[in-house]
Amino acid sequence: MPDNFESFIQQHRDDFDVPGPSPRVWDALERELQESGKGKVVRLMAKNWFKAAVIAVLLVNAAALFYLTKNKEQHQQEVAALSPDMQEAKGYYTSRINEKLELINAYPAEELGLDSAARKELEVRNDTYKALERELKNNPGNERIRAAMVRYYQLKIDLLDKILEELHEKHVTPGQTKKRYEAEI
Amino acid sequence: MKASANNLNQTQIAENVVDRCKKGDVRAFRELYDAYSAAMYNICLRMTNNVSDAEDTLQEAFMQVHKNIHKLERDSSVSAWIKRIVVNHCLNTLRKKKVYFEEVDEVEVVAEEGVDEAQFTMTVAAVKTAIHGLPQGYRTVLNLYLFEAYSHREIADMLGITESTAKTQYMRAKEKVRQIVKQQNVIR
Repeated sequence: MPDNFESFIQQHRDDFDVPGPSPRVWDALERELQESGKGKVVRLMAKNWFKAAVIAVLLVNAAALFYLTKNKEQHQQEVAALSPDMQEAKGYYTSRINEKLELINAYPAEELGLDSAARKELEVRNDTYKALERELKNNPGNERIRAAMVRYYQLKIDLLDKILEELHEKHVTPGQTKKRYEAEI
Repeated sequence: MKASANNLNQTQIAENVVDRCKKGDVRAFRELYDAYSAAMYNICLRMTNNVSDAEDTLQEAFMQVHKNIHKLERDSSVSAWIKRIVVNHCLNTLRKKKVYFEEVDEVEVVAEEGVDEAQFTMTVAAVKTAIHGLPQGYRTVLNLYLFEAYSHREIADMLGITESTAKTQYMRAKEKVRQIVKQQNVIR
């Protein structure tokens, strides 16, 4: 049977409550939910990241080669002489790609999980690149080829970034990134 | 409808909100949060005794709700399920702060002992202040019993103590609150 104290609490129960939490709780929760959503994608990709990487490279190469077969022309000229702006873009992208490749190659081969063919495919000067460069020499003024080359560089960088991100995720200490709760429901 | 901790059972959420949450619908989860966050925040605030810990604990608890919503069975009480997660997180927060719910000597504490309530005025503000000033262990037991309506048996299980210890700690906590409220009356 409730005593006076308990009766008092029951009678004034709602008066003991305060308004809800500040909006920053939901904001933080929403951010965490978004990150957790990304985490799921990353975890899914982590299982098959090598396959995803190779497929992406092959898709980029296939698209570029398809484009080139439709745009063949004859004149051979030096890229540097005929397209100084492309030469500048080439220098910029090549340096960024090489930096990323250096970071990737710093991982031991067994952790990287890439065979020599796949490593070769990630290099700047792979077959697709050479074909594009050839075409650019043949058609220095062709905007579509120039755009395809820039797009090739960007996709390559995106791919390398993705691989680096996956490698980082895989090799970071679990305690640094994941919260562990003491109670399981 | 927002729920206070007191009328949780009457809180209504759209029938399909939980199903939509299970499918990963963030808007549905927001609806769930809007319906229960106020009540759950009050639990967190009473248990942790400060706004910052209460907000952090609430956030962690709702992340756990989101992660485990698929485990919630169709006929289960949504409010009771969320409340239990929230309370567990509050207890974890306290344990991280090295609060121990240890056994106490089992001495019988008689209700109304020592303090005659007729001699002083009890106000909500005075009781709140008194509860705020209780040692953490006492406050936890008192909150779980008085405000969250858990039985002594359930509290004992949650805290890993015996039922008689839970009961004794509650009686002592209640007595302590009465004494503090009485002292506040004297000071005025």
